[in-house]
Amino acid sequence: VIDLLAITDAGARPVPPIVAVQSDGVAVLCAPSTDVQPDAAGLWQHEERLERLMAERPLLPVRFGTRVADEAAAAAAVAGRGAELMVRLDHVRDAVELAVRVRMAESEPEPEPAIEPTSGAEYLRARTAQKHAANAVREALDALARDSREHAGSEPLRAAYLVEHGAVEAFVERVRELQAEHPELAILCTGPWPPYSFAEALA
Amino acid sequence: MSVPTSSLAEQDVALVDLLDRLLAGGVVIAGEITLAVADIDLVRVSLRALISSVASLDPPPQP
Repeated sequence: VIDLLAITDAGARPVPPIVAVQSDGVAVLCAPSTDVQPDAAGLWQHEERLERLMAERPLLPVRFGTRVADEAAAAAAVAGRGAELMVRLDHVRDAVELAVRVRMAESEPEPEPAIEPTSGAEYLRARTAQKHAANAVREALDALARDSREHAGSEPLRAAYLVEHGAVEAFVERVRELQAEHPELAILCTGPWPPYSFAEALA
Repeated sequence: MSVPTSSLAEQDVALVDLLDRLLAGGVVIAGEITLAVADIDLVRVSLRALISSVASLDPPPQP
């Protein structure tokens, strides 16, 4: 049984135990299945392995936990999808994913106590103000990214940005500026990640 | 994204972003495959355990 780790350009020659299975114009990076410890350390190990692979080549991560019986099954898994996967691979080439979440800041910067919403109307006004601020952040960051995706979540903004290598520094600096402009928000930015959120075309 | 070495709160932020990506991102392969669904369920359980352990580090409320 082998784990499917990522899709990359045909002809890739990774370091063992990772093997590249060539199929339909792409290469599937595979590794013998091991029991991933389902804790934070185990997940970070998986992530680090993808990052080492990503340092040498563009890649599309495969959904975590995808396993097949053998290399023939790995080849069959992408047969017929080569052209579509190459389009996605070209889309993420020379770029990384940055995660941005926006929450309300936990402590108000103003010295006066925070106004607790006491009615439905006030609650809705507060929600609308949050959404406006989150939209301002989203639009400002969209301008610096090749692509973006919004994830479902309870936060005012939970998004992924596809950012070119050369633009990462400017992106992070813009996040700092936006944080300074919006002290009422907590803007959480992590990365760079492999392009997990851009591996599939939008449905 | 390397393993965060910063504060517990920052590690938690990064872990949530990692979980978002591992559980919902990536190329979905259809066909004769085995998804390690049991592992993923355990991951979710493990995250809840982590969140509760972070919460338990907060000082107890004063009586």
